Amino acid sequence: MIEKMNKKDKRGQEEMVGFVIIIVIVAVILLVLLGFMLRNNKSEAVESYEVESFIQASLQYTSDCGNQVEFLSIEDLIVSCEEKEMCLDERDSCEVLNETLKGMIEKAWNVNKESAVKGYQFKVMLDEEEKFSLKKGNETGNYKGAFQDFAKGHDTYQVSLDVYY
Amino acid sequence: MVKKMNNKAQMKIQQMSFMLIAVTLFFILVGVFFLSIMISTMRKTASSLEEKNAMLLVSKLANSPEFSCGNSFGTSMTGCIDFEKLISLQGRKEDYEDFWGVAEITIRKIYPSTGNIVCDYSNYPDCDIIEIVDKNVNKQPANSNFVSLCRKETDGSIVYDKCELALLTVSSEEKRT
Repeated sequence: MIEKMNKKDKRGQEEMVGFVIIIVIVAVILLVLLGFMLRNNKSEAVESYEVESFIQASLQYTSDCGNQVEFLSIEDLIVSCEEKEMCLDERDSCEVLNETLKGMIEKAWNVNKESAVKGYQFKVMLDEEEKFSLKKGNETGNYKGAFQDFAKGHDTYQVSLDVYY
Repeated sequence: MVKKMNNKAQMKIQQMSFMLIAVTLFFILVGVFFLSIMISTMRKTASSLEEKNAMLLVSKLANSPEFSCGNSFGTSMTGCIDFEKLISLQGRKEDYEDFWGVAEITIRKIYPSTGNIVCDYSNYPDCDIIEIVDKNVNKQPANSNFVSLCRKETDGSIVYDKCELALLTVSSEEKRT
């Protein structure tokens, strides 16, 4: 009788071990698949070609700030602002840059509480250091952004724009 | 004794069937979970591809010889459209109607904007909208991209390059199946 009980217990234990093994295998497979999915999501670039093209076109924009030779593009105006230069009409180049960029961004992306675009952040970096920034509205978790580099002399500037939805 | 054994066997069969149903349900749930993740990933990929295609089409147009600035404004610039070329094209709308294989091509000046003035020879360059192609057909939703619209400008003493911000909009013809 005891022998029969022991046999039954042993069988029960075996079944439990089998069940645990199945659960562990399924859990491992699920974890591996989840890992793959998360890795794929991470590599998905949060970028927008519209924002990218906007940065490209805005850097080529000719401002009304001139020097002795020409009217400066936004790209040149960024450098001029960094070097604290003045326009030919005695206006501060940083002020002109601020006004022009603000006008361009707000015409291109209708930023307000009622519209789809809730805010934006425009930044100019030089050697990892923020040199100029423009911000409006709320920073939400859902955004599209892009950046573009340009070189002037020995310096490389990085211009970025994030548009929050 | 036989009745007891039959009951035990029925119980075992019942246990087995419950277990099979539970395992099947579990795998169906797991399948549905992964299927939903896969579908959402596929949707994202599809919209990203759509966006890429739209961007490529608009970029292709912006950089085509009929539109692009080339080297007219110093160095070669990507996404740069020559305003003077567009005005010349305006006078030959019929010749170019089927050239690009699209139903609509419009360039709208965004900044600085003076309103909604449609461009022609008389009001150039103080205008906003240039319609290159506008076929009277069913159109697909439009794709647009920012470009710089450049021209030669003079303030009396010097001639300089003036580039403004514009939006190039392209729409294909809707094909009915």
